[in-house]
Amino acid sequence: MPTTWNAYDCGRFYDELITPKGQPRVAARRAVNLLRNLSQEEVAARRAEAELAIKDMGITFTIYSEGKNIDRVWPFDIIPRVISAREWAQVSRGLAQRCRALNAFIDDIYNRQKILQSGIVPPEVILESGNYRPQCAGISPRFGVWAHICGSDLIRDADGRFYVLEDNLRVPSGVSYMLENREITKRVLPELFENYNILPVDDYPSRLYSTLASLSPRFGPRPCIVVLTPGIYNSAYFEHSFLARGMGAELVEGHDLFVGNDDCVYTRTVDGPERVDVIYRRIDDAYLDPEAFREDSVLGVPGLLRSWKAGNVAIANAPGSGVADDKVVYAFVPDMIRYYLREEPALASVKTYLCVNDNERDFVLENLDTLVVKPANESGGYGMLVGPHATKAQRKEFAGLIEANPRNYIAQPTLALSTAPTYIDHSVEPRHLDLRPFILSGKQSWVTPGGLTRVAMVKGSLVVNSSQGGGSKDTWIVEGSV
Amino acid sequence: MLSRVAERLYWAARYLERAEDTARLTLAYTHLVMDIPDTAAPGWDILVRIQDASDNFLQRHRAFNELNVLHFLIADIESPGSIQSSLIAARENVRTTRDVLPADVWEHVNELYLYTRENAEGSVRRRRRQQFLDQVIARCQMITGLIITTLCRDHAYRFIMVGQLLERADMTTRIINVGTSVMLQEERHYTTVDPLIWASLLESLSAMGTYRRTIGPLVESAAVVDFVLRDPTLPRSVRFCLDLIRRELHPLKNGDAAMRVLESAKRSLARFPIDGASRDDMHRFIDRFQLRLQELDQSIRATWFLPPKP
Repeated sequence: MPTTWNAYDCGRFYDELITPKGQPRVAARRAVNLLRNLSQEEVAARRAEAELAIKDMGITFTIYSEGKNIDRVWPFDIIPRVISAREWAQVSRGLAQRCRALNAFIDDIYNRQKILQSGIVPPEVILESGNYRPQCAGISPRFGVWAHICGSDLIRDADGRFYVLEDNLRVPSGVSYMLENREITKRVLPELFENYNILPVDDYPSRLYSTLASLSPRFGPRPCIVVLTPGIYNSAYFEHSFLARGMGAELVEGHDLFVGNDDCVYTRTVDGPERVDVIYRRIDDAYLDPEAFREDSVLGVPGLLRSWKAGNVAIANAPGSGVADDKVVYAFVPDMIRYYLREEPALASVKTYLCVNDNERDFVLENLDTLVVKPANESGGYGMLVGPHATKAQRKEFAGLIEANPRNYIAQPTLALSTAPTYIDHSVEPRHLDLRPFILSGKQSWVTPGGLTRVAMVKGSLVVNSSQGGGSKDTWIVEGSV
Repeated sequence: MLSRVAERLYWAARYLERAEDTARLTLAYTHLVMDIPDTAAPGWDILVRIQDASDNFLQRHRAFNELNVLHFLIADIESPGSIQSSLIAARENVRTTRDVLPADVWEHVNELYLYTRENAEGSVRRRRRQQFLDQVIARCQMITGLIITTLCRDHAYRFIMVGQLLERADMTTRIINVGTSVMLQEERHYTTVDPLIWASLLESLSAMGTYRRTIGPLVESAAVVDFVLRDPTLPRSVRFCLDLIRRELHPLKNGDAAMRVLESAKRSLARFPIDGASRDDMHRFIDRFQLRLQELDQSIRATWFLPPKP
């Protein structure tokens, strides 16, 4: 007996695979038809196979956890999310444009601050932000690029359009899951790949390598690139090791590096010191260099910032990039695009109310039951208020928080996140999802075809974060009309 | 190769070897005890004493009886020399260096760890002890085999070998200490079970057959000690281990200090007059020699591994 797709109803939301009339969308037609015709036993077998594959490939996620739950398996749904290449081209252009503007903005902030002087962005919003690093002023990294790796979160609203929800410019993670998800789908649904022209994603590590190599301060055939991890207890350690392996780069911890008297960075090896050209760091700014930032950091490398400022080593993302990774700054991105690039934004942003502005704050306080309130500087979906789902007491608590610290809060309309069919027990049900593509910027820029689709596995939930019960799906960009 | 990675590989290899050698010795000793009449049977305390772990043991146990000692050697995670502790440490070191090892190595180390976690507690009593120890030995050997047959001969291989050989040399000296200690105890009993003891210790080194072929069928203490310390062809002899360590250290840069320590250890090994030595002499020599091995370990750490964190 086939699994029941007939009862599938996504309600008022936009569904990624199924039209309101219950038909598969064009790009997804073959995939849906094939899945629909699979028997329940067959579906169960494939799902079991996927689980096994995750265990095999990701012993790393699971086995870590004895006693202390250091890492967990991330639920994976085998039904892919399908997007047509034509639609994606538009999104991809918008993402690249956004990254260009964000990098121009960061470069401007640490140098001439034109955008502040021209009154487009209020100076206090930037200069008083915890993410602004005065230590970085006066630096202009190669190509004017600060955020070499950006992970932007997209959602699709009920109108079927993609919106950017936020840009992660510090140490965005998740790209390894994107690659693993594709591997798993190839294993468990190989017949789907026969009739589709699906854009490959597995060249990400080599693209990342080229991007990082283009930053090297020394000329030479093979620059020395290292991936700097906080260590094995970090939740993304698996990804750090995965990317290091994918690039043939050394995975290092802070203690493996030191800054010499010549202000160059070296690794400690059994053959003696070896000079490092590019550091792909997965450590937050604050811990990067105890001489420049937090003194108590044991993860970082004393003198690293000095070496970077002297131009002896490239750091990706550059220290200080986080200044543009702030939900208040987010509200100004469309203006930045117009200001720096003289272009209209190709991708929509979500209407954002800044609680720091009096009239907007009043509006937010009056409409707490319909809005989503977010702290400006928090990631992982923590410290949020989803108005329509909140209790009266919670709304009251947030009203207090906003009045106490308006700079720290923004509000947005509650979005109707799109859904996609997801196997839940023995049936297919709609679940909300978002999408995190990754944008690489160096000498050239590049956007992943698709990205990491995160799914809220709990019915009706809008929270897709892995730390809060989210799962993921493979994301396909398919060419040609099928 | 990063110093940190070299260090972790070295310790991974040492801990794996320690687990295997502890299993070998425990197995041989169990057999020995079964062969000797109760009145003359050597005490179980010897197995703890040769690990220099009596203080730690006595903090948690009152008596050196069989079950207490075996629990301490096999399952106790508070005892750093136990099989279970060694394998936890080996696994932790391999987990963080998997990138430079053949993929199977991690899988087998992890499986061995899981097997031990599952079975160590239940294998303290005689009923299941043999099977468990056999498994530990066989799996350790499989891992060593994998490394020898699939790992490219680079720095990773060198540091693994040096760690393994140094631990093995150390364990072989401790096995001699078991022999001499048993005999010292035995003097109180006026019974001679010498050949049984030395035969079982040779067995623990998989060296009984070779001994018979090369030395002769009579197992006699001076000959055994000479054989396991100085035979150049026996893979678990101290001499053999030191020769191989020298071969592995040779291609490394900055190795002068470590080489000097190694050469002086080899000289003292060659010069020790076994024939005229009393049991006490042997005991003292072994103790001094173990200090030299520690010195070699310190020299390796200071030369190639990370400086201690400030």
